[in-house]
Order: sequence, then structure tokens, then C-alpha cells
Amino acid sequence: MIVLQVIVSGLLLGAVYALFSSGLTLIWGMMNVVNFAHGDFVMLAMYIAFFCWTGLHAGPALSVPLAAGGLFLLGVIVYFGLIKGVMRGPMLAQIISTFGLALLLRYSAFWAFSANFVTLPGDLVGGTIIVGSLRIPASRLVAGLVALLLTLGMHLMLTRTMLGSRMLAVAEDRQAAMLVGIRPDPMQALAWGLGAASTGIAGALIALFYYISPTVGESLVLIAFVVVCLGGFGSVPGALVAGLLIGVIESLSAYWVGAVYQDAVVYALFLAVLWIRPQGLMGTL
Amino acid sequence: MLKLSRRSLGRMALAVPMVAPVFSIGRALAAPTVKIGAIFPLSGNAGSAGQGLQRALGVAIDIVNNAHPDLKALPLGPTAGLPGLDGAKVEVTFADHQGNPAVSQSDALRLITQDKVIAMTGCYQSSCTLTASAVAERYGIPFVAGESSAPNLTERGFKWFFRTTPIGTNFGEAYGNFLAGLAKTGHPVSSVAIVNENTDYGSSTGDAIAAGLKKYNLNLALRIPYNANATDLSSEVLQLKKANPDTVIFVSYTSDSILYIKTMQTLGYKPPVVIGDDSGFSDPAFVKAVGNLAQGAVNRSSFGAGKEGSTSWVVNQMYEKAAGHALDDTSARGMNGFLVLCDAIDRAGSTEPAKIQAALRATDLSADQIMIGYNGVKFGPDGQNQLASTLLVQLRDTSWDVVWPESKATAALVLPFKG
Amino acid sequence: MRRGVALWLALGLVVIVAWPPLVDNVYYQRIGALVLLAAISASAWNIVGGFAGQISIGHAIFFGAGAYASLVVFTQFGWPPIAGVPLGIAVSVVLAVLVGTPTFRLRGHYFAMATIAAAELIRILVANWPLTGAAIGLMGPATPRGLADLSFTSPLPYYYLFLAVLVVLLALTRWMQVSRMGYYLRAINAGDRAARSLGVPVLRYKLYALMLSAAFTSIAGSLYAVMIGFADPDSVLGILVSVKMVIMAAAGGAGTLLGPFLGAILLVPLEEATNAIFGGSGGGVTYIVYGAIIMLVARFAPGGLVDIVRRLREHRGRRRQAVRRAA
Repeated sequence: MIVLQVIVSGLLLGAVYALFSSGLTLIWGMMNVVNFAHGDFVMLAMYIAFFCWTGLHAGPALSVPLAAGGLFLLGVIVYFGLIKGVMRGPMLAQIISTFGLALLLRYSAFWAFSANFVTLPGDLVGGTIIVGSLRIPASRLVAGLVALLLTLGMHLMLTRTMLGSRMLAVAEDRQAAMLVGIRPDPMQALAWGLGAASTGIAGALIALFYYISPTVGESLVLIAFVVVCLGGFGSVPGALVAGLLIGVIESLSAYWVGAVYQDAVVYALFLAVLWIRPQGLMGTL
Repeated sequence: MLKLSRRSLGRMALAVPMVAPVFSIGRALAAPTVKIGAIFPLSGNAGSAGQGLQRALGVAIDIVNNAHPDLKALPLGPTAGLPGLDGAKVEVTFADHQGNPAVSQSDALRLITQDKVIAMTGCYQSSCTLTASAVAERYGIPFVAGESSAPNLTERGFKWFFRTTPIGTNFGEAYGNFLAGLAKTGHPVSSVAIVNENTDYGSSTGDAIAAGLKKYNLNLALRIPYNANATDLSSEVLQLKKANPDTVIFVSYTSDSILYIKTMQTLGYKPPVVIGDDSGFSDPAFVKAVGNLAQGAVNRSSFGAGKEGSTSWVVNQMYEKAAGHALDDTSARGMNGFLVLCDAIDRAGSTEPAKIQAALRATDLSADQIMIGYNGVKFGPDGQNQLASTLLVQLRDTSWDVVWPESKATAALVLPFKG
Repeated sequence: MRRGVALWLALGLVVIVAWPPLVDNVYYQRIGALVLLAAISASAWNIVGGFAGQISIGHAIFFGAGAYASLVVFTQFGWPPIAGVPLGIAVSVVLAVLVGTPTFRLRGHYFAMATIAAAELIRILVANWPLTGAAIGLMGPATPRGLADLSFTSPLPYYYLFLAVLVVLLALTRWMQVSRMGYYLRAINAGDRAARSLGVPVLRYKLYALMLSAAFTSIAGSLYAVMIGFADPDSVLGILVSVKMVIMAAAGGAGTLLGPFLGAILLVPLEEATNAIFGGSGGGVTYIVYGAIIMLVARFAPGGLVDIVRRLREHRGRRRQAVRRAA
């Protein structure tokens, strides 16, 4: 019976992984730029949620849209201020620029908010839902549902809307898109904005049950990379599947193999998958 | 000089090293200032602990440099400056090692050769204390470690290294003794689980506790090493739930302690006795975050504020004014180490390292002469404080009350863990 | 103009060789030694990351192998730590083959991510392995037992030791640059498919580059362990170790002979200085400055500092031409 709870916990954890990876998928898939500052975007959103609570006594109903809006703005600013300039440069310049951004954001937060760990009150969203012998924290369930909705929304936007096809066209071939009259800059800025906004939603929700500190992004970003890579380059549903899969594998391996090896199991599996399927689970070459 | 306001922790500290030299120029005419170096993790993952230590040293500097008649029990409390050095003031140069042993070594070299400090203290993480103190040893500069508890630090045969804090073996002994006593009073302690984070601190302390349990014939049912920065600790808690031990000892940092308590509540797991091994449980953020879910948790600590008017109570008040929250154990141990060092410099009556070293060796402070709950401070030939000891405290509302050993208890132990 | 460059290079060389007596200050000597150490690992990374264009963010694997090899031979057999260099190289070369064979089939970011995963995997395994001191790490000789321990109070001997290693590495890199291997690596850098069509044995040469790179990164790791006297999983196998190599090389100019050295000359003193000035304030300002500088370099000199030098030279050349024409 406990194993069932382990699996459920793993799924909930996986939904969280999928949630905070969704924005990264979009940015990565749309412009082939890995955002090393992704974890720090999540961190900033968490602080927005925190200050929403301490300053306005407002819960996720306000903090989620606020974080989404704030991060959208940040994403657009980052695109025009930094990414647009380095995108045409070598891949190395892209990597170190977003890494520099990560350090800048992380330690600016450190400077402004101090190193102290903070948390939101645990009962902001419901308590624990008990089904038989299973216990499911409501806040995580909400996060999981939002992850599903976000994935679905993003997928529909990319595949069913005019905007989505324009964004994809720019991602596919910048020159060709320009030839048919799509201006690439607004499209890519939008992709950054939307990617960052969904990261903002993720951060504000994760803040409900996780601790908040300036360095929290550091521990989240590597898992996000693995999720996106494993799911397949730019594949939104792939990231969801990969997130859930990793969550369950981590939980089960922590339970059976030992908690210190849970990440090792994930990395080993990740390498094995890449070896067999270099394009990831649901990506195309 | 050091007015530490609670709001702008980062910015206020900015003024410390910059203002200090300006002040020292004026003072140089009256009495020479005594320069001490302090290396802490002021940024990086342990930044919260390092900044707490920096604030604690700020209070300690105030205690040493200004007259505090209400602290007459402390050697340097009632006097202003160091009487043994014609009232010279101490001045601390802080450095940030970022949790990196190589940076810690550079910092030590810089403090010794550029800033010309005559003694040093630090560095929280044992790995950073290890490399920094090796530099101090080479240069013949006394180094007092107030917080680093890895046993190997005092096993290196160093002549300039002194440590005031209790170490892993002391903790193991304390837990064993406490639990064995508990068993006698009718509480079942037939099985114990150790849950330790898997870095330097957690694994060495975990080992020491396991040894302590063995010594007292207690049954170690389960040991779970885990990653301190894990995103989720459900599996660990479920493992505990399945094994169902009577006592769980958490050797955890701040973020994971918070996460454990939250997860235990979510998963409806409540062992009869929950013990935290200092560190994370002692972080003021812990009580703020999950204090309401951790009522009745026992914690190792060497500091208890004690009765109104006592030395520790006054010191706690001073710290609370500066930091906005009660003095935590880690910061208190750092403060104590620094005060012991200042006392030795005062008794040496000189800024010559060799004389300070001799004075440190001759240190003999009783339990009343320090602001922390040790039995006193007296260094063995290896530099380890032989009178270091630990207390166990229990969480009631938002404060930690001393419950063990009985001789120092201010409140009675109440079991089981309420959650 | 050629003579101008030679003059600058000669001046730089004199300053580098004469640095320790020139500054006559142990702290600045130590910074010099740290610059050289960073330059060794960044230049080693440059072979595979710069010349072959395979961006590895997992070079901490080899750095860690070198560092741990030194300290393992000390703790296990009581040998001087420097005796661990050959062991470190051997282990690194084996690991290079093990890591490289599966990952070199991946392209672009996938390769970078796979190297991160491999490095993290190894960090976790080492952090749980008793032979390497698990999470607690390993200590070098607490007090030097003899000259062979290379445990000096003064940074001066380290400085010249590191300089010697760097010179060997750069000479080897230069030789490689002009040899057939250099030509092959440039072709690979331009793209696997193009290289294959030129008849370059792509996988084999990628592996050669990685093995050479790993060997020297491992030496850097061993030298680190000898000088610092301590290694634990985070300090020698952490992701920051890998990232710093990438940043140094990229900031200076990846794929050029002297770029990584230039990057180390810029960034190591920058980091030391900001930490010395702002570190004590506890605000993390060190990394705000560091992050901003990296961003600026990436944004305005995507090819690294070498790029700026080149542009300046072109600019001057054009101006001179214009002046000549006007005359």
C-alpha cells in the first residue's frame, strides 16, 4: 500500500517538474537557446508570491497572474536586452550569457531579500485530501492540474492557432518566415515572454509548498534540463510525459535504492535514453 | 560603530568593513586596534547561516568594545575595549568564502598578509575551516573555530588551531545518554532512525550518532542518507512510516528540515519522539516556517536564553535587537568562539601571535563566564575544548526550552511529539 | 603592425614570467598562480570545446579525477599527492572514452546536457564512495613531510610549476593546431556532416580531442589538490567547476590558442578583487558583478576578448589606410 503512495507522490512531484519545465521547453524549442537562468526565473516568481502574501495578504488567486505578468515582462526585456544580441553569435556566447544572467538574478535577489529561507503559510490552499489510505496535498494537486492545463494550452496554441504557426515558422527557418512576411523579432520576444510567464505561474504555485531562497533555482534547473531533453527538443507534451516519468522514477528509486541515488538513477536513465533515442522520447530529429 | 538594523541585512553589512578602517585611523592615536579576521559563507547556499554569524559577531564586538555592566560575568563584558591592552578596541575584517574551500584559503592568506590580522575565526563549513586554518598554521596565526564540528579538524596536530564547539562524538554521546535515560522513565525507545543529509556535516554527524547509540545499546533500526537539496522528501518519510521507529533523529539543513516537517504532516506521519540535530532546526527560519507543525520537537543546541537577567538572556536580547529574531545555536557558538579569542588576546596583553597562542592554551573559563551552555572552555593538547557539551531543547510555541540535562533544564520534557 | 603585436606579446610574456618577483607580495603571487591554474583547465577544455566545437559542460569529471587521484594515492599509500598525476590521467582518459563514445553522437545542446548529466552522475557516485572519502572528501598532508609533498607556504613554487605545465599545454595545442588533427578538428567544428564528406573520421578525432583535453584537465585537478590540500565532491566535481572552464575559455576566445589564458587573466583577478572588496559585506555582490561582466562579454564580444583585440586592430588598420590615402 505504501508503494502506491510512493507512486502517487512521484506523480505529484513529476507534475511539478513538468510545470516548471514547460516554459523552458517553449524557449528552448522556439529558438534553440538554453536558458540557464530558468531556475532563477522560478525563484523570482516564488518571491513575487511571497511578497504578495506578506505585503497584500493575497493568495495564489492574485500571485499567479501577477507572477505571470511580471515574468512575461522580464522575458521580453531579457529577449531584447540580451538574447537578441547573442542569438546570432556562437552557441558558447548564448550559454555563458544566460549563465551570467542566472548569477546576476540569483545574487541580486540575495542582495535584496537576504539569504534567509522563507515560506508561505502551509494552509494557503486547502489541506490534505485523503482517499482511502492515500494522502494528497491539495496545493500539489492544484500544481499538477495547472501543469496539465498549461501543457494543453501551449500545445493547442502552437498547433492550432495562427500565432502558434507563425512562432513555429520562425523557429523552423527565420529567413523563410521573413520571406512570407512574418517579422521574427516580435514572435521570438513573444515566445520568451510566454515561456517566462508560464515559468512565473509555475513559480507562484511551487511557492505554496516549497521553501523560498535566492539559491532555490539552482537545485531546480538541472532537473528542468533533463525533463526538456528527455521529452524531446521543443516537444510540449514530451516534457509533460518526461516530467511525470522522472517524478515517479525518483520517488521509487528513493524508496527502493536509497534517497542519495535518486538523482543518479535519473541521470543514468537519461543518458541511456539519449544513447538509444538521441532525439528524446517524443522529439523529432 | 556597528549598528545592525534588521531590515537591510545586506546593505548594512556593506558598511562594516568600509567604515571600520576609517574609524581605526582616529583610534590609532589612543590605543592600537586589534585586528581579527573572520571568514564565513556570506553568500552561496549556506549564506543564511553565514550572515547570522556575521550579525552575532557584530553583537560580540559591541560587547567587547563597549562597557556592558549587565554582562559582568563575561570576562570582557563590563569593560570597554581590552583592558589588558590599554583599552584597545577589536576590529573584525569579514571575508566571504562562498562555501568553497579554495576561496577560503585565499581569504585566509589575504587576511593574514594584506589586512595583517593577528588572529582568525570561522568558517562554519568544516571543509572551509580545514583549508583556512592550514594557512593560519603556516603563518603562525591563532585560529579559533567556533562552529565547525568535523572531528578531523583537531586530529591534524596543529599548534595554532583551537576549537570551542562540541564535535560529532560529543553529540553522539549526548543522544545516547538522553535516549537511554528516556527508556528508563518508561518511554519506549526500542528503535531509533537516523535521517541524515549527505554532505560533510550530515554524514559525519550521522556516523557519530550511530556510534553513540551503539554505546548505549540502543537499536538503530534504519538510517536514511538523503540529498539536502532534494525537491521532494516523500519517499524518505514513507520509508520511515513503514519502518515505524520510536525515535527519529534528523541531521538536516534548513530547507530540508522545513520540507521534512511539511511532508510528515501531509503524509500523516507522527513518530513519538522527533529530534533535530541543530543546524536546520536551529535556523530561525525553521520555527517561522513550520513551528506550528513541529511542536514538541527536540533539538540539540548549546544555547538557551535562560532566565531573565542572566548572561545568555542579555546577549539574546542584544542579538534580537540587531537581527529581529532570537539568537540561534550556530550564531551563538560562533559568538562564543570569538569572545574566547578576544579574552585570550586580552590576557596575552599583546598582539604577538605567540603570546595569544600561549594565552589560548591557558584558557580556563567556567560555565558562568561564557554566554553559552558549555561546561566551560579549556583546550586539550589537540586544541579541542574539553568542556564543550551540548544541551537538548524542546520547541514550545516559538521558543526552544532547555529540557536536558536536568541540571540545566528550564522546562520539563513533554512527550510525545505533537506535530 | 605585425611588429606591434610581437612587441605586446613579448611584454606580456616578460610580465608573466617576472610576475612573482615583480609584485613581491604573496597574495598577488597566489592570484597569479590561480590565474595559471584556471588557464590550464580552460586551455585544456578549449581543445575539445573550442577547436572541435563540442561544448562539454562536464569537464569537472576529469578535474575531479585528477584531484581525487592525488589525494587517494596519499591517503591509501602515503605517497606524495603529485604522484597521483599519472593515475589521474589514466582514469580521465578511460572516462573520456566512456563518456565520449555515447555522447558524441549527440548534437549541440543535447551533447552539452548529456555531459552535465554524466558529471552529476559521477559526482553523486563519488559522494557515496568510501575510497574517495564520500561526502566528507579527502585531505592532503596536513603538514609537509618533505619536498615531494609540494606543500609550500609561498605561492611562488606553484606559480612556476603551473606556468611550466601551461607552456607545455599551449605548445602542444599549437602543434596540434597546425597538424592534421587541427585541420580535422576545424572541419568537425564546422559540422559533422561536412567533416564526414571531407573524409574526416569524425568520432575518432572527437575522441582523440576529448582524451587529450581530459588528460590536461586532470593534471589541473591534481595541481589544484596539491596546492589546496583538500577535495570534496562539490569543490572539484560540482557543476560550477565545469561552467567556470567554459566561461574562461568563452570570455577569452574559444578556439584560439591564447583565448582561454586571456579569459583567466581577466576573470580570476576580477573574482578575487570583487570578493576581497565586497565579500565581507555579505550581499553576494561578487557574483552580481561577475554575472554582469559575463553577460556584457557575451553580448558585445561574442567571440571573446580575442574578438575585441582583433576588431581594434582592424579598426586601427583601416584608420591608417585612410590616413595614408588622405596623405
